[in-house]
Amino acid sequence: MKSTFMTDYDHTVGEKLRHFRSISGIEYKRIYDETSWNKKLPDAGEYPYTRGIYKDMYRARLWTRRQQSGFGTPEESNELLKFLFKVGQTGINIDSDIAGKLGLDPDYPLARADVGLQGTSMCTYEDMLALFKDIPIEKISSTLIFPPPSSAVIMSQYLLMADERGIRVHDLSGTIMNCPFTQLVGPTFQANTAFFPIDLALKIGLDLIEYLLKTVPRWNVLNVNSRNIRECGVNAVQEAAFAISLGMDYVRRLLERGLDVDSFGPRIGFFCAVHLDIFEEVAKFRAMRRIWARVMKEMFKAKDERSMRFRCAVQTSSLTFTAQEPMNNIVRAAIQTLTAVLSGVQSVDTTCYDEAYCLPTEKAQKLAIRTQQIIAYETGVTKVVDPLGGSYFLETLTDEMEEKIWEAIKEIEKKGGFIECFKKGIIEQELNEARYKLANELENGDLAIVGVNIFRSEDSASDIELFEHSPDMQKKRIEYSVQYKKRPGRELTYKALKDLYLFTKRGGQGNFVIPIMEAVRSGATLQEICDAMREALDYQIPC
Amino acid sequence: MRKRIILAKMGLDAHDNALRIISRWLKDSGYEVIYAGVYNSAEHILRMVIEEDAHAVGLSFHGGEHIFYTAKLIELFRVNNLNHVKIFVGGIIPPKDVVVLKEMGVEAVFTPGAKKDEILNEIKKSLSEQA
Repeated sequence: MKSTFMTDYDHTVGEKLRHFRSISGIEYKRIYDETSWNKKLPDAGEYPYTRGIYKDMYRARLWTRRQQSGFGTPEESNELLKFLFKVGQTGINIDSDIAGKLGLDPDYPLARADVGLQGTSMCTYEDMLALFKDIPIEKISSTLIFPPPSSAVIMSQYLLMADERGIRVHDLSGTIMNCPFTQLVGPTFQANTAFFPIDLALKIGLDLIEYLLKTVPRWNVLNVNSRNIRECGVNAVQEAAFAISLGMDYVRRLLERGLDVDSFGPRIGFFCAVHLDIFEEVAKFRAMRRIWARVMKEMFKAKDERSMRFRCAVQTSSLTFTAQEPMNNIVRAAIQTLTAVLSGVQSVDTTCYDEAYCLPTEKAQKLAIRTQQIIAYETGVTKVVDPLGGSYFLETLTDEMEEKIWEAIKEIEKKGGFIECFKKGIIEQELNEARYKLANELENGDLAIVGVNIFRSEDSASDIELFEHSPDMQKKRIEYSVQYKKRPGRELTYKALKDLYLFTKRGGQGNFVIPIMEAVRSGATLQEICDAMREALDYQIPC
Repeated sequence: MRKRIILAKMGLDAHDNALRIISRWLKDSGYEVIYAGVYNSAEHILRMVIEEDAHAVGLSFHGGEHIFYTAKLIELFRVNNLNHVKIFVGGIIPPKDVVVLKEMGVEAVFTPGAKKDEILNEIKKSLSEQA
């Protein structure tokens, strides 16, 4: 096997790093001691929660193992969910295909080739029933990965399903992601705005929050997708600053609606990335906890401690994965999973090693769950709360990250907040700069990736087994959605869609969830519902 | 004459990190880049190629829709006598599909970890052969 060094290491003098900066560019010192950090920390579970949001952390309850899943038909995804529970998953994390997130049915021409590829295809109430068949939703929490307006449709389907099964709303727990700015490949402008007007998407998201606050007491109403922001190539400081600024914008808008901060504060969560710079990542999570606690308490005057707790789900980074020697990704994912646990997060999705190529195979999914179980039960890191706390290095870095994140938040605030910056294209510009910088760092070797820009083997082609979709899956789904809409006796459906159209046309005074729920109840598909609103606003979508 | 390249994502996948990076690299190297962005259909790309009189098209894929769209575009090019327009594909492409794409007539396929020089050299070489 031929190995090449792309960087200028000299084997004869021993290997040495090129620099001592963190991934986000913080210069690490040779050693840290009491001159760097010499403070006292409040206990875990105490404001501002540097050491964790709960007193006993994993001693009381391990994090939730929540692998993002979904592919092909809802029936296939239902089988996958059952398999994941069998090997030890403890929560559901349903990802739909892109059509589902964009409010399109499988038969929409531009959707056809993407049906079921990156998540499960779903558009009807019957799809929801098929997806959750035999799954006890009164006992297991579900995360539903949908931005508005799809979030309102899917949530309606979920609630109707619970009702049909005779499950009380008090027994339902889970999360609707519900953010229209970050779900589609992070906060890129075109991706998130091409299929639905962003202002209306935001209003529907906020309407859904208000609706769920009143009707489903344990449901998490918003999850700020910090991970998708990070995976666009920004660094840890930018990730945290963007996510928290966006969170602040949501809080402001909910307050403007006259809601009490403590009515929604405890029901907002974050979904973050875990990258490879172990200490910088742990410091990032600790700093984010402190900042969010202060924002909620001091800026927004929360009184309930639950509003101040930065609850956080994570998925290990896919951006760090390589197509070269894909087995190396097993090691990267394990390190990142350990990092997440050392950071005290609430749920973990360990990305599967083969995701540098395609959706994961069952074998890879099982390995990801086993990785979490090994860390939970074999390594001992779960037996002590905040095991790294008090480390001179980590505490100095936590302070430094906190300061940098605050500075970045202030910059965004000066320009009108995250949402304003998103609309003006400022966020897009920062993403593109970050992507270019990242590419250059990979090119010049400042960011070392084993198997790619150092220790690269030219014959590193993958010999792993790859996931393949069933050959007729797309055809079946397209045909299903065509036939579904041709069913006789759809008068009530058309009436409900007309009502939604008129509701939108008249300016949407009131809560959108009500007419959307009616449309779902009457048998309307996801796209029919979204189209009713698009047409009312004469919103043209790519075709 | 500066060569014109249309860069696009097709279908619903919007993972555009790589396309943005490639766009900058190509501009820095003197190409005229027409950035078509995300959510393009094959028909839309065809219209752009005709309107812009483009020399090449660079497509980036992420979610497994590469064969479908590349085949469709190549067919449209054939029907419209645009066989001289070169097609480059990049992204998450399983090894066996790299072979399939090349057999279909794609000039080059760049997969994750491809180096800047390799990409630029390949494009340059291939476009310099163009009449």
